[in-house]
This record gives sequence, structure tokens and C-alpha cells, in this order.
Amino acid sequence: MENMTPIIHVSKLQKHFRLQRSRRRHWSSVRNLTPKEAAIIRAVDGIAFSVEPGELVGYLGPNGAGKSTTIKLLTGLLVPTGGELSVNGFLPWRDRRKYVARIGAVFGQRTTLWWDLPVIESFELLKHIYNIPQETYRRNFNDFRELLELDTFLDTPVRSLSLGQRMRADLCAALMHDPLLLFLDEPTIGLDVVAKERIRQFILYLNRNRGTTVILTTHDLSDVEKLCERVMIIDHGKLLYDGGLSSLREKFGGKRELVVDYAEVYQNPLIEGAEITEQLGARVTYQFERNVVTASELIIRLSSHYRIRDLEVREPDIESTVRRIYEERLLE
Amino acid sequence: MIKSLLLYFRLISIQIRSQLHYRFPFLLDLIATGFITLLGFLSLVFVFQRFGHIRGWTLAEVAFLYGLVDSAFGLMDMVFSGFDPQAFGRKVRFGQFDQMMLKPVNLTLQVFSSEFILRRLGRILEGTTIFIISIGLLDMTWTFGKLVYLPVVYFSTVAFFGGLFIIGATVTFWTIESIEVVNIFTYGGTEMMSYPMHIYQDFLRRFFTYIIPAIFINYYPALYFLDKPDPFNMPEYAYLLSPIVGFGILSIALAFWRVGIRHYQSTGT
Repeated sequence: MENMTPIIHVSKLQKHFRLQRSRRRHWSSVRNLTPKEAAIIRAVDGIAFSVEPGELVGYLGPNGAGKSTTIKLLTGLLVPTGGELSVNGFLPWRDRRKYVARIGAVFGQRTTLWWDLPVIESFELLKHIYNIPQETYRRNFNDFRELLELDTFLDTPVRSLSLGQRMRADLCAALMHDPLLLFLDEPTIGLDVVAKERIRQFILYLNRNRGTTVILTTHDLSDVEKLCERVMIIDHGKLLYDGGLSSLREKFGGKRELVVDYAEVYQNPLIEGAEITEQLGARVTYQFERNVVTASELIIRLSSHYRIRDLEVREPDIESTVRRIYEERLLE
Repeated sequence: MIKSLLLYFRLISIQIRSQLHYRFPFLLDLIATGFITLLGFLSLVFVFQRFGHIRGWTLAEVAFLYGLVDSAFGLMDMVFSGFDPQAFGRKVRFGQFDQMMLKPVNLTLQVFSSEFILRRLGRILEGTTIFIISIGLLDMTWTFGKLVYLPVVYFSTVAFFGGLFIIGATVTFWTIESIEVVNIFTYGGTEMMSYPMHIYQDFLRRFFTYIIPAIFINYYPALYFLDKPDPFNMPEYAYLLSPIVGFGILSIALAFWRVGIRHYQSTGT
């Protein structure tokens, strides 16, 4: 049996930055000769969570919420101001070299590859950097080149790749050394739908078939919908939500919609428990609260009064759910 | 250790290969670099045509100093390319340094192998040529001690400039952008050290004796090589301080560099 000690353990984690006010503006004033006033930014302000091996977790939050800072703490780029943080049994910032040998990280807008080198040569270099055994290297390379469809641009210098190609190459590069844990920071940013889908399929494959634990930050909530069973939401340095995607929707999903195509045009086909938000000929859209009336109840009520030809229940999309959480601060 | 060195040479050879990929532009670059530095020297030649000597030093004697410094600076500029404060500041800003931190390899080694600007060869060649010509013109008495000490002085000069580069790169952890002050020491320092120190005003000379002891790097060794008297009455062993100062500055720079990395880990960008 697999033992289930968490691979990531975080408690009361804090990262504060001291923001120095720019002194340029009033350079002549005497005040600048006194010690600088410093504002403290609590980028990460006491968060706690743990992640079990094999989980695929989406990490969400608006810009400046503390997402990137958390990822930088988890990958050892930053030292925490306070709290506990251990990943895979390491203190990431202290045991940097040993620790990073077992993780992979892709930061969407940056590449780890050598700009002027053909993709394949970057991989070869990584083999030496990570001391990857030839066997492992060949197996991974063969698997990934196929899954990520790298063959068409293996000999192209990295600087000439499209964004989508570069992302695929970077993903491959981050995984050649069989990391236990993969950090992805905005992996689909700037990609078209097809490219996004390919990246998502690959992430799923890694998680399902290789058991790689994946932590993913993204702006694109369809990434989260398609990939993650668990989401964490951070804002103002605090963890607002940590749980399943479905319960997030249940709790905060707001109103559902029922779209009905009637067999004939009715004037204001009102019904108890729902309100009409739109009427276009025979098509009427209702909105209703999930905790007031169920969809089936509503349909029964409607069909006893009107002749229905077709209907559809629409769940609020995750994007508006999350936006509501940020805007209305539902979780505080 | 051996593994690290192998990795270093592997990364460097890739740099070199990609720079040689376009042979013709590379050659032009090389010639241009050599030519620009040569122009600096030619202006010196014209000054000598007019005055014959500067404060008791002939053209050949100054050329000895000038060539040595230029060649050593060129070599440093090539080997320490990764630490060039301007380029390094960019690496920090654009997250390339973060990428290095994500690799299980010593950071200093990664910065060293992140860049290797081969066209600096132009300056090395120019400096070395001036140096060799100066030796041809000078009627030097070579002793065994001088022969042994010459490469020591050369590499101490490289280490000294390398230390300044590393200090300049480290400062960018705090300032994000590289600051001009650093250039005063690196480029200004080279310029100063290309000429005999006794031509400068006292305060400048004292600065380069007691604050940044550049005077021991090449001026005192030059007095020794050229059998010239010491105008400042330093102890007799002053000419032997070159490696101590050169490698001392480099060690201090590396210590500061480690402090800089620790600072970076606590603040990020």
C-alpha cells in the first residue's frame, strides 16, 4: 500500500515583503534624509494546506493575490517569513540543489530552454544537468515526443518556436528527470484552444498514468474545470477556499438557469420559484436558486401549465462563481 | 567537482558553437572589437609623439602596462561574461536567474556558464599584441623570477577585474538595474590601470592604494619587471602583493555574491 504522508505540508506560512517607497519623487525634501518609510506587504499571510501524492490541485486567485509568491516558496526560490513548509521531506529553500532535483517547474512566460539551441540539444543538456540515466532519458523522451508531438520542431532553435510549441518543449524539459512533483504556473497562458487542449490532455496523462503530483496556477478556469478535482483559492494572501470543485459550485454557484422552448408562444409564462430573465419568441430563460427549488420540481410545475418542446438546465460556469467569490468576498 | 567542470565545458562549448555559427558576422565583430580598443591605444601613441614620454615613462614602458591590462581585462570579460552587471541585471529582471535556481547545479557555475562572449578575443588579441611589441621595443633584463611572476600578475589582474564584475552583478540583487557606479570601478579601473599610477593626482592614487588597492595589481609589478624605482617608498615586497590583492578581491566578491543570493531568496524581484 502506498503510504499517504502528504507530499506538501504547509502551515501558517507567511511571506512578507518590505516595500520601499520611491524616494525619487520628492528628492529635494528633507524627509528623504530620514529613514525610509516601509510598507509591509503580506503577500502570503498565514496559509495552511497539505497535498497528498498523486493529487492534481488548481491554485486560483486574482492578480497580486499571492499565487506566484506561494509557488516561489514551494519551489525554493523564496524563504518564508514565518510558518512551516516542507515538500517531499525537504525545506525547499535550504536544500535547494537536492530538492529541485526531484521537482519540475514550468513558469508559463519563461523558458528553461537554451534560446539559441535546437530543442533536442536543450534536452541533451538537461540530461547532464540532472544526471538522468540514459535508460530513463530515452524512455521519457520517446513517450513525451509522441504525446506532445514534438517531432516537427525538435531541430528548431527555441527562439523560433511558437508559444504553444515552446510550452510543449518546456513541459517535456521539466519532466525528463521523472519529478515526483510538477509546478505549473499559467501553463496555458496565451495559447489557442487547440494548444490548450493538448497541454491539458498531457497534464492529465501525467497525473493519471505516472502519478505525478501537480500544482497548477491558472487564470483560465476551464483549465481547472477540465483538470482539477481540488481547488484552492487565495486572495490577499489568505486561503479562501480549499476543497472540491463541485462543492465550490454548490456553495457559491449562485443561480442556475433553465432554458425552455415552448411549443407555442406564451405571454409571460410565469411560474413559482423562478423568474424570467429573457424571452425570445417561444424560448424563455428562467433563473432559479438551487436551494429554493430543484430543477425537476420546476419542470413539473411548468409542464402542468404549458406545453414544452425542449429544455436545458445550465449550471453557472466556474468563472462567474469564482468571480463572485472574489467580488462579494463570500468566504470571509 | 569533475562533473561540474565537465558540465561547465559542455555549456561553454555550446555557447561558442552557436556564436561561431555565423562565421562572417563573428569575424567582423572580432575585428571591430580589436580595432576599437586599438584606437584607444593609438591616441596614446600620438600623445607620446608630441611629448616623448610621460613623467619619465617611455611609450614602450606604458605599452607594457597598457597591453597587459587590456589583454587581462579582455580575458576576464570573456570568462566572466555571465557576471557582466548589465547582462546579469537583465537575467534577474526577466526571471532567468530563477530558472537557474530551479536547476540542481551550483549557481556560481551556472552564471559562469550562462554566457561566454567569444568576440572579446578581439581585445585579448589587441592587448597581447601591444604587450608583445612593447617587450620587443624594451631592452628588458629577464630573470627566472620575472618569467615566473609574469603569468601570476596576468591572472591576478584577471581575478581582480572578475571580482569587480561579480560585485557589480551582486549589487543588482538590491538595485535590480545595474548601476553606473559599478562601471566607474570596472571600466574606469581598467582605464586608470592602463597608465602608470604616478601620473595621477594624490587623492586618486591614494584611493587606488588604500581603498581599492589596484596599484599593487599591475603598477608595482611593472616597476619590478621594468627595473624602475618606486616613487612612493612602499615596502620592497609591494610588487609581490599582486596575487594577494587580485585573488583577495575575487574571494571577497564571491563571499558578497553568496550574501546577495541569500538576500535575493528573501525578497525576490
